Amino acid sequence: MNCEKYQDLLSDFIDGSLAPEDRNSVETHLNVCIVCSEARNDLGAIVGFCLEHRGEYDAVPNERALWLRINNMIEVDSASAPRTALPANAGSWVRLMNRSWQLSFPQLAAAVTVIIIVVSLFTIVGLRGFSFRGGSGVQSTNSVPPVGAVAVKERFRQQQQVIAYWNERVELNKARWNPQMRETFDKNVGVIDAAVNDSMRQLSQNPHDEVSEEILNAALNDKVELLKEFAAL
Amino acid sequence: MNFYLPTRNRVSSAALTALFLVFAIAGSAFAQQRVSRQYPAGKNVRIELKNLSGTITVETWQRDEIRITASMEAPAVHFNPRQTETGLVIDIVGDNRDRRDVGDANFKIQVPARSSVDLETRSGQISVSNIQGDLVRAHVWTSGDITLSGVNAARVFAQNTTGNIFFDGEFASGGTYEFKSGQGVITLRLPVNCGFRLVATSSAKKISMGDFWNPAMKLIGEGRRITGDVGDGRSSVTVTNYQGPIIFLRR
Repeated sequence: MNCEKYQDLLSDFIDGSLAPEDRNSVETHLNVCIVCSEARNDLGAIVGFCLEHRGEYDAVPNERALWLRINNMIEVDSASAPRTALPANAGSWVRLMNRSWQLSFPQLAAAVTVIIIVVSLFTIVGLRGFSFRGGSGVQSTNSVPPVGAVAVKERFRQQQQVIAYWNERVELNKARWNPQMRETFDKNVGVIDAAVNDSMRQLSQNPHDEVSEEILNAALNDKVELLKEFAAL
Repeated sequence: MNFYLPTRNRVSSAALTALFLVFAIAGSAFAQQRVSRQYPAGKNVRIELKNLSGTITVETWQRDEIRITASMEAPAVHFNPRQTETGLVIDIVGDNRDRRDVGDANFKIQVPARSSVDLETRSGQISVSNIQGDLVRAHVWTSGDITLSGVNAARVFAQNTTGNIFFDGEFASGGTYEFKSGQGVITLRLPVNCGFRLVATSSAKKISMGDFWNPAMKLIGEGRRITGDVGDGRSSVTVTNYQGPIIFLRR
């Protein structure tokens, strides 16, 4: 038997309820083991104190009510005490980060759902914006998925804003060009505009027309590039 | 009432008119600045030219040299070719920024056959012949024909808004070829054994494949686009024409 086993028997040893064989064995061990001997002394002191003062304290009339009151007092104390003392001029971000957040399960689930939806929307918008911008090199011709008429119109509107900006820049410089260049420029912008209008007409008839959508994107990009180039003149 | 000049006076006035014409022609000739410069070059050089308007002609020759011959309408046009590690850069746009009435600048460039050329102009024709380097890029921002003949480069890009594009050459295995116009005719003249993966788009529904058509090709968008492989399909060819036709011819 090791010390752990002997210490398990100490309570019964002090109460005098051990079998004679075990009692002899514990006594023999306590004579040679200082640790277990001290444990026996401590436990004996506690048991002796309890026996001496038995009956001096009345039982609590309602234990559950007492524990509820204690629990309430602890909660009130923790709620009233600030986590850290914030300086008077602390920013809103510091105050926000210093707040204690306690969410119920439905609140937590709702928050996670909102985050997923927002991230998904940003991803979709970002991917569409990327495919719309295209590039001056190789055109992606067979991987752009068809999108609805609303999305096409929205992108058309956005691109028109960019075009309007560069158009303003061009108009500022146009007076400096010679008449031949002005004529050439206007004629070629007209060619691109015709392609844009033709694609828009096709898309209004068939919003899922992949070819028209790609031509529309390419033509709008060409127009922006042309305006940028001539805005620098 | 009739007035007649005396014979002697008539001879004098004829002589004066002739003299005036001679000076006028000579004057206009002197007004055009003509510059010719020559640069030593390796076999694989790269020429970059950004022009405002005018014709650009690139030819090959046997020498390991670059010769630029420029004739410029306005005598005060800045023309400062810069030699780089890889070749030569001529930027008429940058060199003449904020200058008015630069006018046409016409270039004839002679280079070794293995050169790469990157040419750009706001308007004017571009003609490139017999280049067999890595890159041939010809971009006319507005109006101007592009003619690429005898070209056998790994990457070819030709784009204009108004004007025809004519390509007569070969497609290298693994190469990339793009032709794009707003309104002109795009003609590709190729050897019959040419192999490429094609995406050809013409809003005008005018795509003529000629001998390069095969039943495995797909017609998309009511004939506005044709995709498919010709031969081994080892090079990538993209042809886009907003309003004009696309024509494939067998050499």
